[in-house]
Amino acid sequence: MGEKRRLSDKKVYAIVVLAIAAISAWGIYQFRHAADLRQELDSQYNRAFYEMVGYVNNVETLLAKSMVSTTTDRTAITLQEAWKQADLAQTNLGQLPVSQPVLASTSKFLNQVGDLSLALDNQNIKGKPLSDEQYGMVEKLYKYSSSLSEKLRELQDDLNAGRLRWGELASKGTRLFSKTKPGEMMKKFETVGDNFKDYPTLIYDGPFSDHMSTAEARGLTGDKISVEKAKEKVREFLGKDRVQEVKDSGKSDNGPIKTYSFQVKLKDMPEDQMINIAVTQKGGHIEWMLSNRPAGESKLDMDKAKKAGTKFLKEKGYENMKDTYYIKQDNTATINYAYTQDDVTIYPDLIKLKIALDTGEITGMEAKTYLSNHTKRDIPEPKISMEEARKKINGKMEVLSSGLAIIPTNYKKEIFCYEFKGKLNDKDFLVYINAETGEEEDILMIIDTPNGVLTM
Amino acid sequence: MKPRKSVTAVLALLLIAVICALVGPETLFRMNIAYAKNNNVSDEQLLARAINGEARGEPYEGQVAVGAVILNRVKDPNFPNTIAGVIYQPGAFTAVSDGQINEPIDPGSTVVKAARDVLNGWDPTDGCIYYWNPATATSSWIWSRKIVTKIGKHNFGV
Repeated sequence: MGEKRRLSDKKVYAIVVLAIAAISAWGIYQFRHAADLRQELDSQYNRAFYEMVGYVNNVETLLAKSMVSTTTDRTAITLQEAWKQADLAQTNLGQLPVSQPVLASTSKFLNQVGDLSLALDNQNIKGKPLSDEQYGMVEKLYKYSSSLSEKLRELQDDLNAGRLRWGELASKGTRLFSKTKPGEMMKKFETVGDNFKDYPTLIYDGPFSDHMSTAEARGLTGDKISVEKAKEKVREFLGKDRVQEVKDSGKSDNGPIKTYSFQVKLKDMPEDQMINIAVTQKGGHIEWMLSNRPAGESKLDMDKAKKAGTKFLKEKGYENMKDTYYIKQDNTATINYAYTQDDVTIYPDLIKLKIALDTGEITGMEAKTYLSNHTKRDIPEPKISMEEARKKINGKMEVLSSGLAIIPTNYKKEIFCYEFKGKLNDKDFLVYINAETGEEEDILMIIDTPNGVLTM
Repeated sequence: MKPRKSVTAVLALLLIAVICALVGPETLFRMNIAYAKNNNVSDEQLLARAINGEARGEPYEGQVAVGAVILNRVKDPNFPNTIAGVIYQPGAFTAVSDGQINEPIDPGSTVVKAARDVLNGWDPTDGCIYYWNPATATSSWIWSRKIVTKIGKHNFGV
């Protein structure tokens, strides 16, 4: 004892050499593995890019053809294809490892080309040729697609020649291995974006049209109110005797509906629960309200819940609201209420309520759509009769009920229709026939499950 | 040379190497997954996992707000047109880049409820398409955005 046992120098060196060999082998494996993955990723980016270039070229050609075509059905076919190609180009653009602000203008262009092509396609299918204004829009978009193709071809040449690689943008911390200077690809894409510097404002019947973001909120009646007044509205809305504290949490001046927002504590509310609520600066309407109280075991059936919602809306001054669709999740029902005027269901004037099925408490309200659209409408007499409209729908469908409705489109236009609810092959459908032209405007499939009635 | 010290050092290195070997491939694997598009994951699940990865520690309103930004992007022409397209746009969300989006979530957790409220139409951000944490944001570009509202730790902007 007392004599230390030591490894001989030889043994120590052997261990060190072995360890270094093992670490090197592992390191080489890791490096190769990482390189393989990076290569795979690079290939994905290349695929997305080359596909996008191909689709953009096709868009260019198709837009040129659509301007030459003299028949509406040929124009329709060409524009339909342009819509598809633009959509595919846009999908691939979104997969490139280039930061979104740099791609934004190109993305918008591709979306609008697709969207406008579809809108014009729908019009041409109905036999209505392009107006001069629409022709002008297609012409402009064609010019932009040409110059975009040109810029993308330059980029493609750089990629082909190995002057540019995706890796530098895609993987952080690998600058050591990148062959080009960081930011080179970004700069190239910035010049692609410069292509759209003087890009015009386009207004047409599609969801990406420029009129969508600026549309005025028709339902926003009343005068501008102060924060204090808004706070008072919140207390009134939630019940003065229930509210313990209303805390100002800022205001939003974005978009057509400007709001004040508040955080509310009710009396006897647990620490982790809260109600958030937004009140419009104009008129003091409740834009939305949301409580995070989890609902306990369901005690109310859907009938009672629907009635509780209607009663609540009536108390808050929303008369003539009819429940339409609903979904049940987590012991809470989210019910859609549509406004009705002279027995016409006005679907654009929509309020959603969340109703806790344990107590029937309203735990959420969403009135943005209502505030955007609601107004007193001049509803005309239908130009075609119910019987005529009924003849327009599929004879195989068994009609269960019918009525009049105003339906929204995804480009803020409203259509006055006959609404037929019917059954075909054991599936429920809603068919909308234009009350003025007799055209079939929309078909919705109803999904009726124990957890809700929804449409597709 | 003191052999014992070198041996200890080598063993320590080996230990580190083993730890790296265990952690390394996992992160790379996740990165690879994150860029793959999976159509089988329903929108609700995908949205909930994105909210979980991005805003787990935020108040409920903040979780709904982060989900709403994703949905607002889907509707915006400057962004991809699907929920998966927006979430997996390269570099768009840190939770995708670092793989946190793949963390499994409890079906009863608040992020799932938040995702449902978002899909049902609630939007506490009033149409915002960006958000950032002012304490940790590294991009100077993001500060050029107009701040619309602040919810929890995040600024929301357009």
